[in-house]
Amino acid sequence: MTPAWHLLMFTLCLGAFAALALGMERPQETLLQRPLGVAASRAWRLAGWGLLAAALWLALAAPGWTRGLVALSGHTSAAAALVLLALVLRERWGATR
Amino acid sequence: MSKTPTKAKAQAAPRGIRQTMSDLHIWTGLLAGWILYAMFLTGTVSYFREEISRYMRPELPAAQALPDAGQTAERVAASILRQAPGTPQMRITLPTPRNPTASAFWRLPADGQPGAEAGARRRRGGGAFGEGLFDAATAERLHARATTGGDFFFRFHFNLHYMPPLWGRWIAGLCAMFMLVAIVSGVITHKKIFIDFFTFRWGKGQRSWLDAHNALSVFGLPFHFMITWSGLITLMLMYMPWGLQSMAPPERAAVRAEMRSFIPPEQPAGRAAPLRPLADFVQQGEQRWGAGGVGAVQVNLAGDANARVIVTRQQAQRIATTPHYLVFDGTTGQMLQAKDASGPAATTQGVLYGLHLGRFADIVTRWLYFLVSLAGTAMVGTGLVLWTVKRRARLPDPDRPYFGFRLVERLNIAAIAGLSLGMAGMLWANRLLPLEMAQRAAWEVHAVFILWAAALAWALLRPAKRAWVELLWLAAAALALLPLLTALTTERPFWRSLMDGDWVFAGMELSLLALAALHAALAWRTQRHQPRQRPARKAADAPRRPAPVAPASVTPTPAEPVPALATLPAGESA
Amino acid sequence: MTSRTHAFHFDHARRLAAGVPTYMPLISRIVAALFGGYALGALTSVAALALPLAPSEAAFTGMLASFLVYAGAVVWVFAVRSATRAWLGLLAAALPLLAAWTAWGA
Repeated sequence: MTPAWHLLMFTLCLGAFAALALGMERPQETLLQRPLGVAASRAWRLAGWGLLAAALWLALAAPGWTRGLVALSGHTSAAAALVLLALVLRERWGATR
Repeated sequence: MSKTPTKAKAQAAPRGIRQTMSDLHIWTGLLAGWILYAMFLTGTVSYFREEISRYMRPELPAAQALPDAGQTAERVAASILRQAPGTPQMRITLPTPRNPTASAFWRLPADGQPGAEAGARRRRGGGAFGEGLFDAATAERLHARATTGGDFFFRFHFNLHYMPPLWGRWIAGLCAMFMLVAIVSGVITHKKIFIDFFTFRWGKGQRSWLDAHNALSVFGLPFHFMITWSGLITLMLMYMPWGLQSMAPPERAAVRAEMRSFIPPEQPAGRAAPLRPLADFVQQGEQRWGAGGVGAVQVNLAGDANARVIVTRQQAQRIATTPHYLVFDGTTGQMLQAKDASGPAATTQGVLYGLHLGRFADIVTRWLYFLVSLAGTAMVGTGLVLWTVKRRARLPDPDRPYFGFRLVERLNIAAIAGLSLGMAGMLWANRLLPLEMAQRAAWEVHAVFILWAAALAWALLRPAKRAWVELLWLAAAALALLPLLTALTTERPFWRSLMDGDWVFAGMELSLLALAALHAALAWRTQRHQPRQRPARKAADAPRRPAPVAPASVTPTPAEPVPALATLPAGESA
Repeated sequence: MTSRTHAFHFDHARRLAAGVPTYMPLISRIVAALFGGYALGALTSVAALALPLAPSEAAFTGMLASFLVYAGAVVWVFAVRSATRAWLGLLAAALPLLAAWTAWGA
């Protein structure tokens, strides 16, 4: 799997978790300072799951789908961590302002 | 998180499942935590074991283009046969991009015969064997400083040290079972563990440590579960031998045949017969498995009519570790056996084993393995610290905590900060110990434990918070100065590695600096931490405490969190 | 020590002095979890041989499952309401495994 594949995979996962986060109330308050409506939240979560599905497809389409799945697992973990870190830092910097 | 009733009420009301699972999680986590932390950290760095080994053998040349595998096998075999002509068995591991040196071991003829080496390594169970590193292009014997390299960390994480490997494996296995229970109980107790993932409360003392522990557990959950279960599986023949014991010997052999590719030599025929060129056999392997598909070549009874050549597949090519090999008659060249398929259950076991080892991983996947494993290490570390943070708030007299608390607190310092120091210390020893020193490799390892023990002593003698800060700063310095030490004591200073594009050395040193920065950040946060004013107690069995608490210099470890995702572990790594 | 510390330590001491009877259920559970759980896992690894698979396949299946059974048994032992139920549950799980093992050995 080429570096480009990995980059695409990571981007999909990052987008997915960012979208999932935007579909939840607490992160919405951190990032947007206001909760979005039920419909908007659901739309974001749907988008998040959709991106994860795309990532899964990319994993299975890789030459060696088992390696693709392993890489997917790693990328989802890393992406989730990064999104959480971004939220934590945003909240912290927001608080000290 | 758990809304526990007061002690008096708890004895009357039935405890819910989430509460009992929480207790189970805390106990299993605490009892196994210190050993698990060490297993996790040494296991984490083992994903770059080859790179660490090369970093610790600076005499070996940096990676070059690999010559033809078949030619390499022939040259190395010829070299071995010159030294040990009657050897009944030799195994040559071919060079790979990650490890561009050929290595081999060979059984030595009995003492008194040509090629026997006085003082050669003895395997358990008798039989001496020689081993060596060979230049891939010229097959000349390479000499590097005596060191166990990254292999020490790899073996430590399931054998431990200073004890028979069997004991170490039992202890590691028990801890792994505790971990498995901790994972299951942890998920049960935190029902909304995935939904709550994005909840993190900064600067809230115990809640922040808990949130950090939860986050680290959740985003790495697939890995943590896989690594624990697969870890047990790697030694399942030892932990659960009962099935095998109940089987007939041929069936038992069939099981073992699915887990290793060791082919013992036949009885020697006594007639001399020339061995066919090894390159032919390697080529057949590459035809079957692709370029670079051959990982090792084993030759039994070279020069005898009953010679066998076994060509083993490169492990990095596939995930499963089930054996794939070809057995040839060494004199006629005929293929006698081709093993490259296994049943589904055996393959499942092989896949799990392979996932644990991660040998198949490309560089990006390998870094993901490393980072998520590091998160797992931090998960264990934050869990241990959380235990003291949570209970410090409930201490009747924080200046005189009860024995259990003091014990956990001090062991935490030694297990976490002390281990980083010890692991960094091995690299220092690697650079500083005289090359001709007797038992040099063993002494590099002793350095790890000497420093670790010293850290424990320090943790016992100093006030707890001071001990944390001082040991973390020391570990940070030990890691940060390694590139400088390397520049001063070897021919591979970091500027040259960067200019030459030697990413093994450059990558290692950049990683060491990053880990040093991590330790420094932790030390700094811990040092600056001021425990907050104790809020009014709600617990009925504790009278109100006067506020504020004692100044930071006297109070033990911080109640405020250090950066949640800053990991506590260290040690060198790539 | 402050009077608060006295109270804290006295509480501990009183509970310990109440003696083994108070801790019996807990000890019983710990034994059930550590040893009973292992036994159940071991039994799983042997009972699996009765599966309609090639012997080596059955052996692998049993060993793979045994650790999960062990972990599950430990969680069970501490999840149920009493130590007695814990032991009963382990025995109940063991019976079909014993039956399978006996049938295979026959």
